[in-house]
Amino acid sequence: MSVVIEVKDIGVSFRRNRKRNFSIREMLLQQKNTSPKGEFWALRNINFDVKAGEAVGLMGANGEGKSTLLRLIAGVLLPDEGSVKVNGGVAPLIELTGGLKSDLTARDNISLVAGLHGLSRSEVRNRFDSIVEFAEVGDFLDTPVRHFSSGMQIRLGFSIVTSIDEPIILVDEALAVGDAAFREKCYIRMQDLLNQGKTLFLVSHKEKDLTEFCTRGLYLKNGSLAFDGALSEALSAYKKDVGGFHD
Amino acid sequence: MGKFGAFRILVYRDLQIRYAGTWLGYLWTLLDPLAMSVIYWFVFSYIVGSNSIGEQPYILFLLTGILSWTWFNGAVTDSARSLVVESKMVRSIAIPRFLWVIKSIGAKGVEFVFALPILVLISIIAKAEVSMQLLFIPLAFVVQFLLLTGIGLILAPLTVLARDTTNLLRILLRMTFYLTPIIYGISDIPAQFHTIAYLNPMTGIISMYRAGFWNDSNLITPIVFSIIISLIIFISGIVFFKKVERSVLKEV
Repeated sequence: MSVVIEVKDIGVSFRRNRKRNFSIREMLLQQKNTSPKGEFWALRNINFDVKAGEAVGLMGANGEGKSTLLRLIAGVLLPDEGSVKVNGGVAPLIELTGGLKSDLTARDNISLVAGLHGLSRSEVRNRFDSIVEFAEVGDFLDTPVRHFSSGMQIRLGFSIVTSIDEPIILVDEALAVGDAAFREKCYIRMQDLLNQGKTLFLVSHKEKDLTEFCTRGLYLKNGSLAFDGALSEALSAYKKDVGGFHD
Repeated sequence: MGKFGAFRILVYRDLQIRYAGTWLGYLWTLLDPLAMSVIYWFVFSYIVGSNSIGEQPYILFLLTGILSWTWFNGAVTDSARSLVVESKMVRSIAIPRFLWVIKSIGAKGVEFVFALPILVLISIIAKAEVSMQLLFIPLAFVVQFLLLTGIGLILAPLTVLARDTTNLLRILLRMTFYLTPIIYGISDIPAQFHTIAYLNPMTGIISMYRAGFWNDSNLITPIVFSIIISLIIFISGIVFFKKVERSVLKEV
């Protein structure tokens, strides 16, 4: 099987005391990059390959760099060391509602988000009905999304991104969204996508999600890969360290 | 998907958002610069009461300057904030990052082009004489686009790293408006300040927009200055953006 995700020696460092809103005065007074002490490696020396059709679960405690790793693979963050190669398109289930513009209608949002994820206009047209049906927003197509409940917005986001038909699916704990009935639909769709031979890379805190879909487990600890192998073994290594799952 | 596809979608989305829920829609694009021009025309023609500033017909002179300034002002403001405003999308959709910046410039550029018919209308009403130098307008458009791209690529990362760039920018833009030959012409500036005025690339760009309406004996100097300086800013923007992209993505 061909390798679709190739992660080589990657490292990402963040500034320890990073402030999201520091002022120009501070920028002028304190020179940047003076003290390397202020930096820490969120991820370092990580190596692994994912082959086409694999279903990989990524686990680790909060703040161990799971989302950072996922964003590197999604191409929305760049590594400071090493390289990430992704062969094939990616459907990122990250920030599901972030792509929606609240002033625009559901109809406009579908064309915009699907278009930005790479669907042509005719592909959007062909999949439009099934996106609407899955998201259960058929009665509100011409309503600005700001009037949607948060559940509806998530359903719409999930439906669009899982319809873009890319070979690699990245999920950031976004599998179990909405109410019980919709969650069931999400699981079925995810299983469908796996059966079509898509590659899945799933970040989750939920043992149930991981065992349901994944066969291989990666365990991140202190910014490095503590375990890479069969899912059951990864889970037991993780559980031994943290004493079980949260749910 | 081609980069141009994503650019087109984002420009279209910006325009859709701007007109969503408004009654007058596209007319706002015309009303804003028109209202500004009428105010200055009234102040300088009736209150100050001097015909010595700018060129006649003064309302047309104002419009040529204010329309391009409206694009400049809107595009600088929007592109500087683009990475902050679109942070959720920047964090989830892997399209080339510079597209988030230049889509704001493109959207305001489309509004500028769609506002140009008002120039045609006013020049017909004012019976203005035009020359072949109207052909400088497309060149001015390209140079202004390059200039704005350079400025946007520098300001957008700075705004992510220090949010008060926005406040500083508002003041700078207002000052630049009065320091640029918009409500007055280059010939109204004392000779010893001409070189300084040429260092402002918008001086030459506005001269190009006006060249078809008024014959300026000294047209080449500001144009050459504006092209060279715009190119320098454009290239600096690309280099700077590339250099800070990694850190910006961590902070977005």
